[in-house]
Amino acid sequence: MIVATELHKRFRRPGARRGEAPLVAVESVSFTALDGAVTGLLGPNGAGKSTTLRMLATLIRPDGGQASIDGHDVTGDALAVRQRLGFMPHDAGVYPRLSARENIHYYARLAGLDAHAASRRTGELMERLDMTGFAERRAAGFSQGQRTKVALARALVHRPRTIMLDEPTNGLDVMATRGLRGIIRELAESGHCILFSSHVMHEVEALSDTIAIIADGRVAMVDSLGGILERTGEGNLEDAFVQATGAER
Amino acid sequence: MSAAIVAAKEIVDNFRDRQTLFYALLFGPVLVPLLLGGSLVATERQLSIDFDEVTELAVSGAELAPNLIGFLRTHNIDAVPAPDDPAVAVRRGELPLVLAIDARYGEALRAGRPAPLTLHLDDSDKDSSKAGRRVSSLLELHERTLNALRLQHRGIDPTLFDSLEITVADVSSEGAGGQLLASLLPFMFIMSMVMGGFYLAIDTTAGERERRSLEPLLTLPLSRGSIVFGKFAATLAFVVLSVLLTAISVWSLFQVFPIELPGGQVRFDAPTVTRALALASPLAPFIAALLIAVSAFTRSAKEAQTYLGLMMVFPIAPFFALQYFSLGTSAASVALPMLGQYQLLERATLGEPIPHGHVVLSVGGTLTAAALLLWLARRLYTRERVLG
Repeated sequence: MIVATELHKRFRRPGARRGEAPLVAVESVSFTALDGAVTGLLGPNGAGKSTTLRMLATLIRPDGGQASIDGHDVTGDALAVRQRLGFMPHDAGVYPRLSARENIHYYARLAGLDAHAASRRTGELMERLDMTGFAERRAAGFSQGQRTKVALARALVHRPRTIMLDEPTNGLDVMATRGLRGIIRELAESGHCILFSSHVMHEVEALSDTIAIIADGRVAMVDSLGGILERTGEGNLEDAFVQATGAER
Repeated sequence: MSAAIVAAKEIVDNFRDRQTLFYALLFGPVLVPLLLGGSLVATERQLSIDFDEVTELAVSGAELAPNLIGFLRTHNIDAVPAPDDPAVAVRRGELPLVLAIDARYGEALRAGRPAPLTLHLDDSDKDSSKAGRRVSSLLELHERTLNALRLQHRGIDPTLFDSLEITVADVSSEGAGGQLLASLLPFMFIMSMVMGGFYLAIDTTAGERERRSLEPLLTLPLSRGSIVFGKFAATLAFVVLSVLLTAISVWSLFQVFPIELPGGQVRFDAPTVTRALALASPLAPFIAALLIAVSAFTRSAKEAQTYLGLMMVFPIAPFFALQYFSLGTSAASVALPMLGQYQLLERATLGEPIPHGHVVLSVGGTLTAAALLLWLARRLYTRERVLG
């Protein structure tokens, strides 16, 4: 379970002089993502989605507010958070000179599995994500879909209860997107807490049990799709999004 | 444990990278010694004269000077008939050297006048010039003998004409040429260490950030310290591999081409190279830490290459500093990484004794600097900016 309370993050502008006002990436973000459910973080580019996920993944420290994963504070107990969290960042970041299998095995070893257990877990995941066709090939020539699978397998390798995916379907073709959606649903049904970010309306609509609408670094509304439509009095998510973020005001 | 896993992965990964392999296994260990040592061997071969080597010398009018021909034969030079026009033969490069004995030679000698001899050579040609120097020096030797005989014949002590007796007593153990040679070994060692770890350090830090693989790595349940230490260990492995190969190739180069080095004291035999390698070894962790710290600080692989390219001054600077300024070996200078090793390795190559205190200072100073740099690299990895 993820609990975020008034998370705030600002950055120094690149090349800024001392005393110049910083760039506020996340003003105030609060939401809860439950186990066994898919939570979608919906917002336009630059809304603060990636920064929020990075704070939750202990990559950067929040300047205000707090957040916890399964009760462990992201700033005070970062190592415990990382043990319970699988994070797939925006860019897959696979090692081009290692094969798909080696990429996953490396993460399994670093996550604390011994050599034997790491090999078994790697095999399991490649079977499950249908990667056996390119398991031994070096990642240098992989398609975006293959790279995403490697990155997802790496994020799942230490059986984390909480899984975060930053724009997971970016660059994927129709079939790969369908396949990934199936995997995400399966993970949620087996009890995982899934948080993913996207700027694509129908993506979030198709996958999420709960939607957190985020714009200009603030969470405007958190509810189920039905709840959001009801509260905004709109007939579809797009209109509801515009209404909730006050974009037309 | 995690650090060992990181190190093993980086080593395997970089063994698949041709650029890293070229610089670690070929550039430092093979190309640099071949270029430096090879040119040294070649120059030495061209300049030094082997008086024991039996050669033929084209002589015209050999029958006019049987004593001279006999003298040359005792000095391993056999006279053979010369072509009709010696100057043309030498100019065309058909012969390196022709000694022409003038028809008046015997007569002049008997009359106690200077006996005319002509040495045809091409000074712009290295072989001709070298052969000319060998024959000239023999002719001078023969002339001195003849002079002494002439003076004794007239009842004069030949030493009367030696108004000066010059003794050159060189107190330095090496001489200028020796010093330059002795500093080649630290230069090659340091150069190969820097080049050996160069690409791996960039690839595992700035390169990893650029490929976006750092972000998922940092969300794994392991400390940033062990990530940095793993990358340091992988760089260290390549640095050590590179310098070991360099030591082997320097030693074998001078085994295959045993040359008498100027100064006489400079040696590249197995005990000397091993001793020098041992003295240089604290530099391996220092250089690995320096490479990791610099490339952890930069934002991209390109920026890292620029900074580390500038850093190439480090192995070269002490080399020139020691050539141009006569820096004495002091406690302060041996404690400095690079400069200290230059001074100690020079002495090792010259077979000179090294005070134990200097070794301790050098090892201590270099390892302390390495630890500081590693600490700095770890600090850099805990900054948010490390994600780029």
